[in-house]
Amino acid sequence: MTLAETQALFHAAITGGEVSPAALEACFAGTPALPAADRVGIYAEMWLWRQVEALGAEFPAVRACVGGERFPELCRDYLRAHPSEHHDIGRLGRRLAEFLRLHPAPERSDLGDLAELEWARSEVFCEAPASPVGREALAALGPEEFARARLRLVPALRLLSLAHRAQEPWRAAHRGEEPTPAAPGPAYLAVWRAGHDVLHAPLDAAEARALEAALAGAALSEVCASFAAADQPATVGFAALSSWLDEGWVAGVEVVEDPNRPAGAHGALAPIEV
Amino acid sequence: MPLERPALGHGVGLRTQHFPSYLSDPPPVDWVEVISENFMSSGGRPRAVLEKVRGEVPVVLHGVSLSIGSVEPLSERYLADLARLVRWVEPALVSDHLCWGTHRGQYVHDLLPLPLTEESLDHLVARVGQVQDRLGRRLLLENPSSYLRYRDSTMSEWEFLAELCRRADCGLLLDVNNVFVSGKNLGFDPDEYLAGIPADRVGYLHLAGHTDRGRFLLDSHAAPVPEAVWALYRQVLGRLGPVPTLVEWDDHVPPLEAVVAESCRAADIEAEELDRARRLAS
Repeated sequence: MTLAETQALFHAAITGGEVSPAALEACFAGTPALPAADRVGIYAEMWLWRQVEALGAEFPAVRACVGGERFPELCRDYLRAHPSEHHDIGRLGRRLAEFLRLHPAPERSDLGDLAELEWARSEVFCEAPASPVGREALAALGPEEFARARLRLVPALRLLSLAHRAQEPWRAAHRGEEPTPAAPGPAYLAVWRAGHDVLHAPLDAAEARALEAALAGAALSEVCASFAAADQPATVGFAALSSWLDEGWVAGVEVVEDPNRPAGAHGALAPIEV
Repeated sequence: MPLERPALGHGVGLRTQHFPSYLSDPPPVDWVEVISENFMSSGGRPRAVLEKVRGEVPVVLHGVSLSIGSVEPLSERYLADLARLVRWVEPALVSDHLCWGTHRGQYVHDLLPLPLTEESLDHLVARVGQVQDRLGRRLLLENPSSYLRYRDSTMSEWEFLAELCRRADCGLLLDVNNVFVSGKNLGFDPDEYLAGIPADRVGYLHLAGHTDRGRFLLDSHAAPVPEAVWALYRQVLGRLGPVPTLVEWDDHVPPLEAVVAESCRAADIEAEELDRARRLAS
């Protein structure tokens, strides 16, 4: 057999493809005590075990909800649908939330949302660092500049829009309690990193809309318009923006030059020094 | 060209479970080995830990996903990530495994053995050259722990490694536990293996524990180094002299102190063996 043929055969044999015992015997040498098929079976077991371990490390709450006995079976189904395409085994779970929504576990339609929360936490844990700015970055803006300014948010920040309150089974699982199904949402969660710790917290709908706009690069006038329905929109909006700065979500405040003014020496985006 | 073996001493594998210890109370080890893939794209705590550690002790990069033996082209994305990591870390050594682990763009995240044939050898020589050219430095390859033998194999693993090192001008990471495990599983004599490897190509050693699964030994890295592997380690030192040595522990990982204690035992054994060699020589 050529090298390519042996690798195709081996790969099929360990990942659940159809390979006849005769083909295995023709390629691999066994012994009476440990026949060739059993030797290949060691690799098949390791293939699954290693990836189950990796997924369990990234999704401990999902594993707690599914149960230790069912979790390997879930992983096997997932890996057959979405085999690893990245050299980092830590990227294995990139589509687990999507898979769980398409193939929900019995009586656990919330697990897709829970997986999305755990995946966001995992991504944020490894995101690139950034130096956050404080409230003084906003205070430095004049009234006209404020409306045109845009927030540059840190990479280690995610906004999740979920159909269930996934933070509930997450919290239960991490306390070692029974992770009962999450209550229906909608639920908006911010996930971010503070120092080396990953945190998440619920947002109300208005603040979630505002953060979504900021993440999309909208001007502060548009971000603040998300709070228009509040009793005191300016107060509520200012409180939200201040909390984002306090939590370290903002890496910079940039003012878009007025297109009606002559172009300045710094181009369209002029960073504010803080 | 003989490999320049750095005098690194005795180290341990840097594992996630021990990150807090490295940040607060660095362990008394000479050097650490890190899994390259765990740090290629990370910017959070893993990166911060490695940034701190590399300022304190030498670091060796040890990859698990290069897939040097796969028949499909080497991943350009992987090589770019590895080259970037090498530039940042400035490691003492860079290693991976004599294995394959990708098929049609899919990673199996395991270290699968190769048939020991002229075809495999030609394939590996070209690929090792490609990696070494890309990194601008020598690559060390680790002997695998094996559970099966290909019927097409035409040479022993030690003959294969010796020829690969000679033709590709690469180095060897000799995993002593893997020699022991594969010897039991495939029925070869570890003494013959150690006599056949090119001593001047060995850059460093791995020590680890394994699990007896009845019909075979599993390279589990889930237990202390067994006495039989310590004995084999003494034999290796007798043949090679002082060699940088690293203790791996990847499953059921104990507190860092327990891993460091294993590394200290390796240092003690090396001192004993060198002392014995000196006394015999005099």
